[in-house]
Order: sequence, then structure tokens, then C-alpha cells
Amino acid sequence: MRAAQIAEFADALGDVNSAYTGADPVAPPTFAAVLGAAAWDALFADPELELALQRVVHADQTFAWHRPLRTGDTVTGVLTIDRVRCRGAMEIVGVTVRLATLDGEPLVDSSSTFVHTRAAS
Amino acid sequence: MSVAVGTGVGELSIFLTRAQLVRYAGASRDFNPIHWSDRAAHALGLDGVIAHGMLTMGTALRVVTDWAGDPGAVRRYSARFTRPVVVPDDDTGVELRCVGSVTAVSEDMVTVTVEVTCGGEKVLGAVTAEVSRAMAPS
Repeated sequence: MRAAQIAEFADALGDVNSAYTGADPVAPPTFAAVLGAAAWDALFADPELELALQRVVHADQTFAWHRPLRTGDTVTGVLTIDRVRCRGAMEIVGVTVRLATLDGEPLVDSSSTFVHTRAAS
Repeated sequence: MSVAVGTGVGELSIFLTRAQLVRYAGASRDFNPIHWSDRAAHALGLDGVIAHGMLTMGTALRVVTDWAGDPGAVRRYSARFTRPVVVPDDDTGVELRCVGSVTAVSEDMVTVTVEVTCGGEKVLGAVTAEVSRAMAPS
């Protein structure tokens, strides 16, 4: 986590909260989605799962924070597929990305539901 | 003990423009063309370029963090993406209205629900944040 990255994200949200600037800034809470998205990319790119990104809709999102992401944190993420339900051509996939520091300190759990529509074969 | 169910936590009216979508795309590394190309949006049956769901969700949380002061007070936040926010290619953009109120108070958490509308229609559903009661304004 770099201060410039945090400032850029806060600026994109139009958020001037003083916690995001200064000597030891924290990231806006939803920055967790930016880091989590790297794990989503790995999910969508997994050939075994046969998911097509252009047919994926993000249906809901939940974050649960242990503490804010701070400048200097080196963050790693592990994605778990929590559940898959099938309804006709629709696959409803629930995933959780657990972000933690390299030392294993938990930072935030980001849970999402994606709806994937399988192409007609 | 003045935080009670029904307490208003604030309102926010934001105009989302194409310029802000470009900024958010860069800052979030989300370069899905439906957030910058009408051609790509139309191909998916959308009325035009739409805002990133996470931009809308992140904007709505500002009602809560502006109220709490310290963004670290927010412990949990969830929302459903119910309706796309179409952002016109003009200088004004589209108005997003966010209104927050306290919907539950427990021993250690204050639950804030935010109504997020665009042109009078809800664009996010079940927008709920849990704020540490010890860190919430009293």
C-alpha cells in the first residue's frame, strides 16, 4: 500500500476525509475491492471454471474489516468459492477474498455474489 | 445515548460524470469498457456507459464516514447492485442521492442504512454499514 495509491483512490471517490492524506494515511474502506479484484481476475481466468467475464454480473458485495488498510501494508489475498447454485443457464457463485498482511494479520474479508450466464451451446 | 434508531446521519448529493468514471477506472484498475464506451455498453443491452458498482457503493459510504469522522470506525458494509447508473456524456453528469439513518443500535455496533437513488429510483439495495459504537458520534 502506497500513499499515492490511496490519494488517487480517495480523489476518484471525491472524498476529502483527512484520514486519507498526511503522514500515515489509511485507505478508503472500499479500496479493499481493488485488491480483492486481483483475486477475482484469477477466478475468471481459471480455464477449469469456464467463466466468461463478459457474462458475469456482480450482484452483491459485503466487506468485514479487522482494521483499515494502511500505507506500508503488503497485502496478500486468498479467494475461496463459498457456494455455487445453478438455475437454468445461470450460475450463482458466492466467493470470499480474505486479505491479510504477509505476516498473516487479517485485514478485511470481501464477500461477493456473481451471477454467470452460461452461453447457449 | 443520543444515537437512536431513526437518527439521521447525513445526506449527500453527488453528480457522477464521465470524467469521474475515467478517474475511478484508473484508481481501481477496472477498465471494463462498459464504464467508458457507449458502444460496449449498448452491445450488452445497456442504455449507455454505466458507473462502476463499486464507485456507487464507495460514494454511498461517504455518508457514513463523513458522520463517523474516522473511516476505521466502519466494521462491515454491504449492498446489492440492483440497477445500473447510466452516466450521460455531458458536463453535468447524473445525480446520485444518498440519505443515511440509524436503523439499529446494539451494545457495540450502530447500524446505518443508506438509501441510494438516481432520478428517484433505487440503484443499490440493502445498503447497510455497521459502525463501532465506541467510535460513533454520540
